[in-house]
Amino acid sequence: MKEVDKENNIPADNGDGLIVLKNITKKFGTNTVLDNILLAVEKGKTTVVIGPSGCGKTVLIKHMILLLRPNSGEVYFKGRRIDNLRERQLNEIRTHYGFLFQGGALFDSLNVAENIIFPLRQHCEINDFKEVEELVKAKLAMVGLDGYQNYYPAKLSGGQRKRVALARAIALNPEVILYDEPTTGLDPIRSDVINELILKLQRELNVTSVVVTHDMTSAYKVADRIVMLHKGKIIADGDPDYIREHPHPVVQHFINGQVDDDDLAVLRMSGAVSQAQFLPRDFDQ
Amino acid sequence: MIIGTVGAKTIGGLNNIGRFARFTWMSMLASLRSCISPCTYPLIWNQMNLIGVRSVPVVMITGAFVGMTLAVQAYDQLAGMGLEEHLGVLINISVVKELGPVLAAVMLAGRIGGALTAELGTMNVTEQIDAVRSMGTDPIRYLAAPRVLACLLLTPFLIIYADLMGIVGGYLVSVVQLGINSRAYWSFSASGVELWDVSIGVVKGLFFGVAIAVISCYKGFTCKEGAHGVGQACTEAFVASFISILALDFALAVIFKSIYNTFWPLKSLV
Repeated sequence: MKEVDKENNIPADNGDGLIVLKNITKKFGTNTVLDNILLAVEKGKTTVVIGPSGCGKTVLIKHMILLLRPNSGEVYFKGRRIDNLRERQLNEIRTHYGFLFQGGALFDSLNVAENIIFPLRQHCEINDFKEVEELVKAKLAMVGLDGYQNYYPAKLSGGQRKRVALARAIALNPEVILYDEPTTGLDPIRSDVINELILKLQRELNVTSVVVTHDMTSAYKVADRIVMLHKGKIIADGDPDYIREHPHPVVQHFINGQVDDDDLAVLRMSGAVSQAQFLPRDFDQ
Repeated sequence: MIIGTVGAKTIGGLNNIGRFARFTWMSMLASLRSCISPCTYPLIWNQMNLIGVRSVPVVMITGAFVGMTLAVQAYDQLAGMGLEEHLGVLINISVVKELGPVLAAVMLAGRIGGALTAELGTMNVTEQIDAVRSMGTDPIRYLAAPRVLACLLLTPFLIIYADLMGIVGGYLVSVVQLGINSRAYWSFSASGVELWDVSIGVVKGLFFGVAIAVISCYKGFTCKEGAHGVGQACTEAFVASFISILALDFALAVIFKSIYNTFWPLKSLV
C-alpha cells in the first residue's frame, strides 16, 4: 500500500476503484470538513476510515453515496461520474449500496420484518409474500436474529438494532456496504459480533466494504486497508501493518489512544478540579 | 458591518424561500405521481386515518364552540334593533364562510402540523430520512406526498364537520337558551346562506390542508439536530401555518368575491 500523506503524491491507480472520490472539498459555512480528498475504494476489499471524532469521517462516507454533495470535486461509481446526477437518477445507483447508520436509523413505526422488506417493496415487485417472508428470515438468520420479525425497534438493544439495520442494508444484495461507526456504543462482545458479521458478509457476499470507525480493535480486525483522516485531509493510507508502524505522530497518538502533547499542555494550564467544583453558597446546601 | 449583516440575512431569507418553493413544487409533483400509483395508496390511507379520522372530535368541538359563542355575542346587538330572528343568518354565514374553515384549520395546524413536524423532525435527526434516501427512495414521495394528499383530501371534510357542529351549536344557544323562534331562525338562515357560501369554506379547506401539510413536512425535513431543534421546528411550523392560513383566507376571500361579482353582478346588490 502506498502512502498519500504528501500533496501531489497520489497513487496513479486511483481511477480504477469501485468508488472514487476525486479532489472532494466539503465546507459547512466557513468550516472546511473535507479538504481536497482523493480516495479510491478497491472492489471486494474492506477499507476502514479512521480518525478522531469530528474529523469528517461520516461526511466522507456520506459523499460516497451522495447523501451529501461536495462543494467541489467529483464522485465516481464503477467509473461513472455520479455527483452531477439528479436525486432521481441517483436513486437507481443507491440500490447498489447498503448503508449501516451509526444509530441504525431503523424506522420506528415499522417492525423488524417491515424494516427489512422496505427496500424490497420500493424496488421489487412483490408477488409472492411467502418468498419475501423466507428472504426476511434468511437475512435475519444471517445476523443471528431470526425470530425477531415482529419486534419494534424500541424493544431492541443497541446491538440488536445495528444487526437489524445490517440485515436491512443487505436486503437488496448490494455490491458496496458502507458502515458508519458500526461498533460505537456497544460493549466489546457486541462489537466483536458486528466485526464478525462484517467479515462474514465480506466472505459470503464478496461485497466491497467501507467502515468508518475510531475503534482500532475493530479496524485492525476487519481492514484490508486503513485510511486516516485528520483535519479534513488523508494523512495515512495503507494496510494495517503499515498503519501500525506509521511514523506520523498524529497517527501513532491515535492508534495507541494517547493524548498528544498540545492537548496535555492545555489540560495542565487549565484550573484545578477543586476550582471547577465551586458552587454558589445558596446552592451548596 | 451593518450592510454586510443585512445582506447576509437577506440572502439567507431568499435561500430559505427558494428551498421552500422547491420543496413545495417537489411535494406537489410527488403527490400527483402518488395519485396514479396504487402501491402508495396504503400509505395515503394510513395517513388519512392518522390525520383525518383522529381529528374529527377536536374539529367538531371547535366548530360547536364557534357557533355557540357567535350566538351569545351577536344576540344583544341584533335584539337591540329587533332583528334577533336574523341571528341564524349571521351565525351560519360566519361559520360556513369564515370562522368554521379558519378555526378548524388553525386547530388542525396545531394538532396535525405539530405531529407531522415532530415525527419527520425526529426521523431527520435520527437519520431515518437519510436511510430512506440511502435505499434509493425519494423521501418526499415516501414521507411527504402521502401526508400532503391526506391533508388535501380530508381538510375539506373536517371543515364540513366543523360547519355542521357550528350550525348546531349556534342553533341550540339561539333557540334553547336565548328563546328565538326555531322556524324563523331556520327560515332566515335558509334565505341568507347559499350553496356558494358553503362551497367557499370547503374549497378554502383544500388550500389550508395543503399549506399545513407542506409547511409542516418542510419544517420536519429541515429540522435542526437535538430535542431543541425538533421543538423549534414544531413552533415554527405552527406559526408559519397559522400565518399562511390567515393570508390564504384573505387572498381567497378577495378572489371568491371577484368571481361572485363577475358571475352574479346583481345578486350582491339585492
